Order: sequence, then structure tokens, then C-alpha cells
Amino acid sequence: MPITFIDIERRTNWRIAIFFMVLLCLYAAIGFILTFPSLNGLYQISPRFWLVLLTAALLAAGIHFWFAAYNTVDSVIRGLDARPPDPQDEVHRIFLNIIEELRVVTGGKQKIRCAVIPSLSLNALAAADLKGTALIAITEGLLSRLSRPQIEAVAAHEAHHILSGDCLETTVAASLFGTLSSALERIRTFSQNRIFSLPAFLLAWLLLQLGHLLNMFISREREYRADAASVRMTRNPIALAEALHLLTRSWRGAGFIGSGYEMLCIVNPQASNLDESEGFWSDLFSTHPPIGKRINVLLGMARIRRADLERNTIPMSSSAPSSAKPSYYAMSPSQQWQGPLPLNELALLPWLTPLTWISTSAGGDVLRAWKDPLISLIFGQRLMEGERTLSPYACPSCRQPLITASYEGTIIQQCSFCAGTLVDSDKVPRIIARTGRDQPCSERITALARTVLKENQSRQLYRMRQNSGKANGPLLPCPKCNNPMRRQFYSMSHLIEIDRCGYCGVTWFDQNELQMLQCMIHHRLTAERYIL
Amino acid sequence: MVGLIVLGVLAAVVIWMVMIYNGLIAARNDVQASWKQIDVQLKRRHDLIPNLVATVKGAMEFEQDTLEKVISARAKAVGASGPHSRAEAENMLTQALGKLFAVMENYPDLKSNKNIMQLQEELTSTENRISFARQLYNDLVANFRTRIEVFPNNIVSSLFSFKPEEYFEAEEAARATPSVNLSLKGK
Repeated sequence: MPITFIDIERRTNWRIAIFFMVLLCLYAAIGFILTFPSLNGLYQISPRFWLVLLTAALLAAGIHFWFAAYNTVDSVIRGLDARPPDPQDEVHRIFLNIIEELRVVTGGKQKIRCAVIPSLSLNALAAADLKGTALIAITEGLLSRLSRPQIEAVAAHEAHHILSGDCLETTVAASLFGTLSSALERIRTFSQNRIFSLPAFLLAWLLLQLGHLLNMFISREREYRADAASVRMTRNPIALAEALHLLTRSWRGAGFIGSGYEMLCIVNPQASNLDESEGFWSDLFSTHPPIGKRINVLLGMARIRRADLERNTIPMSSSAPSSAKPSYYAMSPSQQWQGPLPLNELALLPWLTPLTWISTSAGGDVLRAWKDPLISLIFGQRLMEGERTLSPYACPSCRQPLITASYEGTIIQQCSFCAGTLVDSDKVPRIIARTGRDQPCSERITALARTVLKENQSRQLYRMRQNSGKANGPLLPCPKCNNPMRRQFYSMSHLIEIDRCGYCGVTWFDQNELQMLQCMIHHRLTAERYIL
Repeated sequence: MVGLIVLGVLAAVVIWMVMIYNGLIAARNDVQASWKQIDVQLKRRHDLIPNLVATVKGAMEFEQDTLEKVISARAKAVGASGPHSRAEAENMLTQALGKLFAVMENYPDLKSNKNIMQLQEELTSTENRISFARQLYNDLVANFRTRIEVFPNNIVSSLFSFKPEEYFEAEEAARATPSVNLSLKGK
């Protein structure tokens, strides 16, 4: 990962020249095929014909290239309806500061514009154009859900794309072919393939499939390189790994971020099987490497760093026999390593949850706290403190026993760490029917339900257009039978994503999801008609 | 004829030396410019600290010791001059600040104070900028040192007595983490 921060110049890439040649050939081919029927056969083709054809193609390609590549950043901003961050806003202020920090890394030579994409989806993208403008854009959802070090890591990843120059070539490729093909795609979907009867359109469509072949030029390696550079800048591989992990389980903006921009994003908005697999063909045609592998590489880095750090200091833990009293490092909610802490001090940390990252001072692997048998005891103890009834089942994400509680007059099981809820499926209608009996829906939950419904609606609409209703991402295990639960919407008009086990008849709601569902039904917030 | 050849060779040597000289000057100016950048960020930090201390003072009565350390480290850092002693003073200040932030975690009142959160964000950002500026400076110094030491540049550099610039930090500290995130660890 040889990125020097010295004098990074935008390299005009030979690949951009190739893009132009492809474009030229494309226009020449279109021109040839369009004029061919009006000629009386091949013998009429004179050198003059070729000259005219090539000049016209050159002109068309030149105009296309100029419009597509010169001022792309502005058109990307317009296309995504992105806004510059608001300096008065706390979260946006952090983003602005981080971009300013990145400008220091480059010695102030590259001006980076930043923008916030108004969407709940989680994604980030970088773009650069021939005019010399560079852009880092992050969705509102990602900004709100990541901690500061995580935003730093994501922004540093994007900054490396810009500095290394590979952002320029992807932006040019995306705007030359991507936007055009996504426009055609839309026309095709709306006309339900009737458009194929027009031969010219069929031709253009086939030729534009060429655009997808350009993915061949865009190697997966650069994503690994950008990850590595991000770690080099921020020295915090876990922050990036966690951010990526969050992205795998969430909506990445499919349907909102047009297919033309997918090459620019940190993770592919459409989680495709091709991206998640490995091998010659997927290496050739996909734009992003498997996220799981990226996370593993990053976590691998984390461990090596840890060992390095321990060599620098002369810690007491090396003189004391480590087997007698293991001490731990824990990652706080603001993503700072705290430690070394003995077990009893660790137990006193108010922010320690089963999902906290833990590592032993001996330089072992970084684990979730629930995986360590000793630390697991802490949670057991905490659960026993109150007058609470433990249920025999464990939370699918924290792996700690659930608490049996009463809610809306019926018995449910709740995780006291992540606030998720396990409900027998036959009790769900009962709970919904009793909404508002004890206390009305809070403003916050109603507002949340409204936004989630709106976002899920456009997401579902997109999935239906693509004819793939399947959700991707890792599935949670059922607390009862341990088989993976199905992730689905509660109903087609109440678009709240829930995890359901068909065998045991239980439903798992993440934090707030049950309340949002109740609110939706109570206030008759439903998806609009056309989705049904 | 021989005179012409000698003249030609001499002219070539002079042109070649001028090119090397100009390259070295450019590299040295880069180093100095990046030093200015560090200066700007350090000044920003020095300006922010009194504000922070004044705001948290009331809430953190029992941590006067930590606050004192921050104040005295700041005073030392403002007075220091020259890369080496400044680096030392600034490292002290970074450590004192790191401790203050760690202690602040224990005061939920501070966490809910919007003013303090903003100050803390500005300071965190400044810390990061300092460490990035330091990385850039050290990279440029390394680049400059290499350029004056390699053959044949060393002939020109000794002729015009170019001196190697100082690194911003001692070796050991340079290997530590640049961001405040990890610096709490290992203490």
C-alpha cells in the first residue's frame, strides 16, 4: 500500500484513453449500422464514406466525453439530490471537520468537496472529474449511525480513492456508460420490454451492455488498497471493520442510488451474489470484493497492531503471570480502546454490553464480549441483580438470556442489552390490537415509523422492478431452534422488517421495531397503493 | 575544437547543477510550508484549551490535578521553540489532554452539555489534524533528507551547505499512534 502523502498528483490514466476509444468505436458502429440500409451494398463504400463516418463518430464521442467527464461531480450531486453539510448541525459539523482533517493529509493540495445524501440508507461514495473537483458524499443514515472514528475511517477510505487517481477513472467510466445504461434500463422496465421491437433501441441496448464489461478494468484490488490506506491514516482497523459490518446488515441504497453510480460507492448498493463470491469470473466482472473478506483482512490487521503496541510499552502484564489474572482491553462506544482492565473493573463499565469488542492483554484475537466465557459471567450477574425472570432462550445477537416481561397485558421476552423483543407469532395481533390502551404512541416512534415506511417502500418498489424480492445479508439464528430466521416485511402494507422462524412460530423485533409496527397500524400509516 | 568540447561539458555540468539545486530548494520549501501547517493547527489547539478548561472547571471539582496538568503543559507548549523541544512539549500536552478526556467520560453531566461536546469535537478534530500534519511534515523531511544525501545530489548539497531538517518527533514517539484513539492504551 505505497501511498505517500508527498506530492500526490492526479495521474491522467491510460484507462481513460481506452474509455474514449471504446466510445469512439461505439459511435462509429452505431453510425455504420444506421446508414447501412440506405447504401446499395458494400461496393458503394468509398474512403470518403469512412472519413465522414469517422469524423461524425469522433465529434459525437468528443461531445459525449466532454459532457460526461468534465463536470461530473456537479451532475452526481444533482443526481443524488445531495446537499452540502450544514455547519450548524452537530453531526454534519463532525463530517466537515473530518474532511478538513483529510485536506491536511494531502498538504492542502487537493480540494475535496463534501455532501450529505438525504437518505436513510447506509452508503458513501467518492467522485472526481477532469475539472479537478473531488467529492466525498455520505448518506444521512450512515452519518447518524456511525461513531466519529467510523466516519473517519470511511472518509479516509474514500479519500484514498480520490488521491490514488482511481476515483477519476471510475467516475469517468460511470458517467460515460453508467448513466446512459441506467436511463435505458428505466425505459425498458416502464415499457415492459416492448421497446425491444424498435431495432435501434435493441442495438443501443446491446452496445451499452458493453458498459458492464468495463467493470473488467476496475479491479477489486483497489478496495483492499483503500481499506489499507484508511487504516494507515486513522490507525483504527476495527472502526472500519465495524462500519462495513453495519453496512452488510442494512439497506445500502439500492433503488435510491442509481445503478450508474454503483462503482463509486464503498459497498455495492445492490448486494449481488457475484460480488460476494470469489473466483476468476467474479473477479473479472464485479466491482467490489466480498465484504466478509474485507472485514477479515481488517480484523487481521487489528491483531497485528495490538501485538506491536504491546512491544513498545513495558506493561506490567508481561511481568505478572498472565494466566493468574487476565486483563482486558475493551472498545468504548466512542471507539477508543480502554484498558488494561482486570475483570472486576471491566464489570463496572456502564457501557459494557455483550456486543462490545474485547481483547485480552496477551494479544489474542478481538472478540465480541459474549464469546468470552469469563466476561459472559458478568452479564449473567447483571441479569440476576433485579427481580427478573430469565427465559430459557438467548438473544440472537447478544447471546445472553432474555428476560420475561409483560407488555400490553401479555408475556413477551426481551433482551436487556440490545432492547430486541421476542414474541410468539400468535401474540403479535393481540399486542397490535391493544395499541394505545395503556399509553399512546410517542411522537418519536410515530415519526420514525413514517420515515422507515417511506424508505422501505422505495426499496421494495425497486426490488419488485428487479424481480428479486430476496433480501441479502446475514440472518439471525432463531432463539429456540437455532435455524436461521427469515427476514421479511410484516405485511405488504406495513413495511417493517422482522425476523421470523416458521418452525417455532416466533418473531424477533429489533429495538423499536415492535413499537413502530404498532404505531403504523394504529395511525393507519400504510404503503401507497401502487406497491400492492 | 578541444576548447569547444570543454566549454560544452562545463555548460552541461552547470545546467545539471542548477537543476539539482532548484529541486532541492523546492523540496526544502515544501518542508517549510508543511511546518507552517503544523504551526497553524498547534495554535488552534492552544486557543481552544483555555475555553475547555474554563467550561469544565465547575463540574470537575475533584479533578483539579488533571486540569492543572493540562494548563501547565499548554503553557510549556506555547513557550517552546524548535522542532525537537516543541515536539516534546506538545507530546506532554497530548498526554494531559488524553487523560482529561478519559476522566471526562466519568461525568455524565459533561456529556449532556452541548457546549462542552462541541469543544471536545473541535479539539478531537484538531488533534487529528496535528497528527496528519505531522505525518506530512515527517514524510517531506524524509524526502528532503534522501534527496540531499543520495549521489550525485550530495555534491551539490554540500557545496551549498544544505542541512538536513529535523523530524518533528523522536523515533519512538513517531511509531505510536497518530490519532487520540489509541493513545489512551498502553498507559
